[in-house]
Amino acid sequence: MYRIRFHGRGGQGIKTASRILGTTLFMEGFEVQDGPRYGAERRGAPMFAYVRASMEPIQERGIIRLPDLVIVTDDSLIPIPAAGVLTGVAERTVLLINSDEEPGLWRERLALAGPILTLPAAAHAPHINTQLTSVLSTGAAANLIGVISRRTLEEAIRKELAPLGAGAVEVNLENGLKAFDLTVVLKGSVREGGKTQAASYDPPDWIDLPFEEAAISAPAIHATATSERVKTGVWRTMRPVIDYSLCNRCWWICSTFCADGVIRVDEEGYPRIDYEHCKGCMICVAQCPRHAISAIPEHGEDTGERQE
Amino acid sequence: MNEPKFRYMKDLPSARLLGSGTAMCAGCGGLQALHGIYDILGEKTVFINAAGCMTLLSVYPFTPFRGSWLYTSMASAPAGAQGVRDGLDILLEKKRISTEEDLEVVVLTGDGAAYGMGLSSTSGAIERDLDFLYICYDNEGYGNTGQQFSGATPHGARTATSKGPRGFTGFKKDLFSIWAAHRPAYVATIAGAEPLDLANKIEKARNLKGPRLLIAIAPCPTGWDYRPEDSVDIGKLAVRTGIWPLKEYIDGKVVHTKIPHPRLPVEEYLKRQGRFAHLFTPAPDTALIAEIQARVDGYWKGVV
Repeated sequence: MYRIRFHGRGGQGIKTASRILGTTLFMEGFEVQDGPRYGAERRGAPMFAYVRASMEPIQERGIIRLPDLVIVTDDSLIPIPAAGVLTGVAERTVLLINSDEEPGLWRERLALAGPILTLPAAAHAPHINTQLTSVLSTGAAANLIGVISRRTLEEAIRKELAPLGAGAVEVNLENGLKAFDLTVVLKGSVREGGKTQAASYDPPDWIDLPFEEAAISAPAIHATATSERVKTGVWRTMRPVIDYSLCNRCWWICSTFCADGVIRVDEEGYPRIDYEHCKGCMICVAQCPRHAISAIPEHGEDTGERQE
Repeated sequence: MNEPKFRYMKDLPSARLLGSGTAMCAGCGGLQALHGIYDILGEKTVFINAAGCMTLLSVYPFTPFRGSWLYTSMASAPAGAQGVRDGLDILLEKKRISTEEDLEVVVLTGDGAAYGMGLSSTSGAIERDLDFLYICYDNEGYGNTGQQFSGATPHGARTATSKGPRGFTGFKKDLFSIWAAHRPAYVATIAGAEPLDLANKIEKARNLKGPRLLIAIAPCPTGWDYRPEDSVDIGKLAVRTGIWPLKEYIDGKVVHTKIPHPRLPVEEYLKRQGRFAHLFTPAPDTALIAEIQARVDGYWKGVV
């Protein structure tokens, strides 16, 4: 059975990517499961989708713990533990990363022995509404699996993206097939994983709690603003940075308009951005009357703390 | 005439009482309005939240609120509010809590509940003169499930269930008038992008008794298809084009609190959002744009 996991951010088309890949495998005669993990995740938040394909009936359910192929459409997710990109990655797992950095660098950085491939073309693919960042990785993945023909990939993209209109189909087709062709020498690098038995599964990291009386076990929250424990800063791909030499302390603009209320006002009246929670919507950048706030890439050269 | 409590933007509170770290989308216009509202209402509140996007504000064990929160089905938040209000009243009567410990009961629902499923229970609550605040964050569709049309979807907008060349063929319900026709203590429209107007209306509502209902336009990057950074601009344009009239109903009269002068053409608002893209490409649908403009003009003709 092939077990494939996609990691990306909400809005990059991960769900569609898994669906396209699932469809290609189905059209090649496999039994297929594909689907995203649904939760409270929103645009920009780390999320994943998975595909299982086998010539035999699939009895496995749930998330994929031991993947044969892991596809990462946004390399900034790899260092984020909550994204779980490396969960269950073994020596035989192929890691495909949309990144313009060398596979060797990633191997060293992640201390992984297994094959790592990068797709530089996808690292800077613009994401516009009709073009899916993830379609490039889907095209590449289709070739890596080795059992999908170019023609099947083309048909699957046409079929799955038809509701988006002819323009969207064309641009995604072009990119998906380009990625397929780029990876032709790597055809078949992903090997089918063996059967798994329920008995061989490691127990998940859960904690057993004794059964309590209703007053204790009912889901009531007895503390205030606990949501701040959730670090939504990981959603961000761009970082708003205030140039304090330009800031004229009209905090009532940026701080009031900040949708998440994460721009606090210090004693001197300067706005201070809470990067642990800022989701990177950039409303502050758009609204600052003095243009004192700029957006810089979260993972670029220039992430120096200009705020200080 | 009463002096507004907040005269300038700098008079607005800077406390940011609503916790961050919620699951709302980056750039959520509804959340932006809510944190402005919460800074004024404060922590002595109980939120009765009907199913919708903002159900995800409080996902156990996390909550952004500093007071209590109760979750109800889509149609029954005002009924839930009745139960909570009654409970508090009994506690007050039995002197189990002091008047200082009393809480403001606040219903929070999206437009799916407010304009549709929950309209009957809202009508009942106003009829019973329930002492509560109702806040509707109106993103003009069932945003939490992928932006299917609701009773609040504007004419012409594309939704997940209105994909034809003319978008949604129905018309946005006039919920303000439906509510006002019940003659409650207070009804108002607000916008997070107009924080001063919002703050003064919340302050006014807070100091009244009885049913007080507010509709906040909630620009929605995900459902309306625009970049999150444009949320505030789009909210402002909704007001400046006259599409979202800021007004209040009090003492039997409707008063417009901000009349746009000059009123911008509706295109300025429509063209910024992907859900109206079919009005502009491949060729402009001048007839439909003119129809939307005429409806807005007709509204304001009746005002001034």
